[in-house]
Amino acid sequence: MNKKPVPLLILDILSLVLLVVAAYLALVFAPMEATMGNVQKVFYFHVANAWVGMLGFISAGVAGIAYLRSHDPKWDIVEVAAVEISLVFFLIAIILGSIWARPVWNTWWTWEPRLTTAAITELIYLAYFMLRNGIEDPNRRARFSAVYTLIGSVSVPITFMAIRFFRTIHPVVIGSQTAQAQGGFNMSPDMKVAFFFSLFTFTVIFVDLFWHRIRLGILENKVEELKLKVME
Amino acid sequence: MNTLPDTTNYMIAGYAVFAVVFSVFITSLAFRWKKLKQDIQTLEELGKDSNP
Repeated sequence: MNKKPVPLLILDILSLVLLVVAAYLALVFAPMEATMGNVQKVFYFHVANAWVGMLGFISAGVAGIAYLRSHDPKWDIVEVAAVEISLVFFLIAIILGSIWARPVWNTWWTWEPRLTTAAITELIYLAYFMLRNGIEDPNRRARFSAVYTLIGSVSVPITFMAIRFFRTIHPVVIGSQTAQAQGGFNMSPDMKVAFFFSLFTFTVIFVDLFWHRIRLGILENKVEELKLKVME
Repeated sequence: MNTLPDTTNYMIAGYAVFAVVFSVFITSLAFRWKKLKQDIQTLEELGKDSNP
């Protein structure tokens, strides 16, 4: 655990390079949208952050199932790593969405279905850490957390589908628009390049951070074990 | 005639928020890693002292 593995180092460098290229594509390469102006460029990172946020929450649910089946503590470490990273990415997605909404919807926030379900999802996973902090026994904590993430992961498809099921002002960029949607647009080929490259970039960054956070979790467990040994 | 709104400041704010939150998280990971390594070193020394 002392030395960073070479593949992880390569992934670090790749993530950084991809992030720079994704920022270039979003800010410079992609054309300015005709009605919203430059604020539309926030969309590329907004969607990409939301995507990896949801990916992580689902991964946590899968890790939860794996823990409940095997009772192997490594799945608890994976689960915590997935939730922590996703909380950060999802928070960024919510803030970027709010910044985009201010000039387009003329408000920072409105309780429409997508924003409401996204806020609930973020709060569910914030509460996950409160739950963990409240349980001392590691096995009990891992078991409760696994069940929690499994139930919590239901909020992800609800959030994703909210703009497709309900009448909402949140635009659906891929798929059909609802009549109430405000700020929707059709992507030009150059916009699509920036969009899909951002999705790819953030997926790579997610894998990179996930690996780092899992290594951190293993180290945390080692410290706990050593503490118990010293106290004996 | 429609004029395009100047929303550049919002775009800058968006990317600045991303940069700040992302950097804080990366820094937090690095700090926690460093602290845990120190903890391990201390605990291993304590273990050696108590079991010579």
